[in-house]
Amino acid sequence: MQACSPNAAQRRLSRRIALTIPFSVLLAFVAAAAIHLWKFQGIASWSVAVLAALPILAFIAAVFAYLAEEKDEFQRMLHVQYLLAGTGGLLAAMTIWGYLEDFAHAPHLHAIWIYPIYWLFVAISMPVINARYR
Amino acid sequence: MMKNRLKVLRAERDWSQADLAERLEVSRQSVNAIETGKFDPSLPLAFRLARLFELPIEQIFSEEELR
Repeated sequence: MQACSPNAAQRRLSRRIALTIPFSVLLAFVAAAAIHLWKFQGIASWSVAVLAALPILAFIAAVFAYLAEEKDEFQRMLHVQYLLAGTGGLLAAMTIWGYLEDFAHAPHLHAIWIYPIYWLFVAISMPVINARYR
Repeated sequence: MMKNRLKVLRAERDWSQADLAERLEVSRQSVNAIETGKFDPSLPLAFRLARLFELPIEQIFSEEELR
């Protein structure tokens, strides 16, 4: 999410995000394998599902920590705009897709895709928002 | 958006945007956004600018809107 050379808060954000990514992949595979092998049910399956999501929650926490730690108010404002644009894009896309599922027999979208779609909209918004301040 | 004299004040001191950004501990992109009137700084940042240029805030920023 960095537009120019990263400052200290942005470097911390990158480090924290880099830490969560391998755990996201690892826990997703471990959770899927555990459910497949041991056929967990009830609270055990819920626990495994939450465990698999923990690195994603850490990722979100890292972004909030960055917003709290960023001392450059313009950079903070830019990043809040990226995140808001991502939220708006996601809400719009999911609303449209919901109606498409209901009325046009579009294939069901698994909820796990909401998270990467959100970041896709954030990424798309960045050059557009940056262009406003050139 | 507020009008400001940052570009002139910077030129008088022969500072680049990067020089000013380093002194303010913000990004060059931030200095550019303030200087071009696309971003109004907060009061604390405006005071930091005033201290840096040794001028009252009203001699750096004016109420006249940039269009």
